[in-house]
Amino acid sequence: MDSRPGDEMLLLAVAERDMGAFRTLYERHAGWLAIRLARRCNDRDLVADAIQDTFVAVWQRPQGFRGDGDIAAWLWGIAIRRLVSRLRTRSSVAAVFEKAEAVPAAEDQVLLSVEYGDIGQALARLSPEMRAVIQAVVLDGLSAREAAQLLHVPVSSVKTRLYRAKAHLRAVLAEGSS
Amino acid sequence: MTGWHLDDDILRRYVERADSLAEGTSVEQHLLSCEQCRGRVNAAVDVVDLAAVWDRTRDTVEVPRPSVFERLLRVAGLPAHEARLVAVASAFRGVWLVGVAAILAFAALAAAVGHARGMWLFLAVAPIVPCLVVASSYDPWMDPALEPELVTPYPALRLILLRTIAVLALALPAVLFLGLFVPGEAPFAWLLPAVGFVAVVLAASTWVSPLRSAIAVSSVWLGVVWLLAARSGSPDAVLQARAQAGFLALAAGSFGIFLVRRRWLRQLRPGR
Repeated sequence: MDSRPGDEMLLLAVAERDMGAFRTLYERHAGWLAIRLARRCNDRDLVADAIQDTFVAVWQRPQGFRGDGDIAAWLWGIAIRRLVSRLRTRSSVAAVFEKAEAVPAAEDQVLLSVEYGDIGQALARLSPEMRAVIQAVVLDGLSAREAAQLLHVPVSSVKTRLYRAKAHLRAVLAEGSS
Repeated sequence: MTGWHLDDDILRRYVERADSLAEGTSVEQHLLSCEQCRGRVNAAVDVVDLAAVWDRTRDTVEVPRPSVFERLLRVAGLPAHEARLVAVASAFRGVWLVGVAAILAFAALAAAVGHARGMWLFLAVAPIVPCLVVASSYDPWMDPALEPELVTPYPALRLILLRTIAVLALALPAVLFLGLFVPGEAPFAWLLPAVGFVAVVLAASTWVSPLRSAIAVSSVWLGVVWLLAARSGSPDAVLQARAQAGFLALAAGSFGIFLVRRRWLRQLRPGR
């Protein structure tokens, strides 16, 4: 696409203690990571801390990326776990997944149904608690334990909600296709 | 590159968190593999001050590993930033420690070889070492980094007391150890005077700079020792219960003054 060094090159340079490459990597990734983390935790200071932890971890162990898949995905895996571990040490802060859901406008509804079909609407009908669990476990790939820490609920609740959410989705999708 | 990219509306909804879970998830999946769209999201970040986070990140990865002493303080239960503040004192730099140890060793050696004047020398030097080291640990002239520390909301009292305790934890065992080589009853005679002088320096530093107070206290002490020696009195004079009780009272009184006047510590300035 262009002549800028790819993320893999940057990561190699970071392993050689190249601060310039580290900075470039930060500038390419810190922003979207912050936004994505902020969707999972309302405390901006915690998000900032998690971003810092993430890049410190990258600096300390750039070889942790084993060359499979996207560096972005690898970074996200570090970032979400750093956020979870920050939340664990500060139990007073409540992680909030969902703010009040905006009601989609009519044309957005059409767009949604075109783009996501039934699954989007099925998800939209889940309660916020169930959506949060689905997002943490199914979409972010966290373990039940990590999800429990992120959401400040017992592990057993994560499992129950996940089970119910799956059953609900299955029922809604079956209903839609019949 | 698939050639498909997020359109501006979806991007805006994602950044503003006004989208549904399904749409957000789709965006996030796309972002993982599309550098171009990541760049567009980056441009819209307002949740976090990324420049500030970068500065902190760089500072974290650039600082050298904490010194042995700092790690010890952390093991002792001090939070990381406090351990740093305490450990950066000049008094904990190697040169200082070596210098202090050398002076003490010299005095102890003189006393150990049984020279009468050596005995006096140890008695003269040992009590003033802790207060000099304590003073240097928070004198702004010795430690230029201290001034910004003192104007920050960090409680100066806590900082100074922490440093004092840390200094004493280092200096006292050293002097005690050397004192073992000093013959006679003198080895521990300097302990109470030493504590008293530290307290006097803490109290006096609410008026003048710590280093000046330490130098003044040391000069007075050296003068007293000199007078006693000149009158060829026994070095044991300082050992007498009455003298020791006096030092204890001095320590308690000075520390009380220090606590009462502690808010003046913020006005510490070098060479005042």
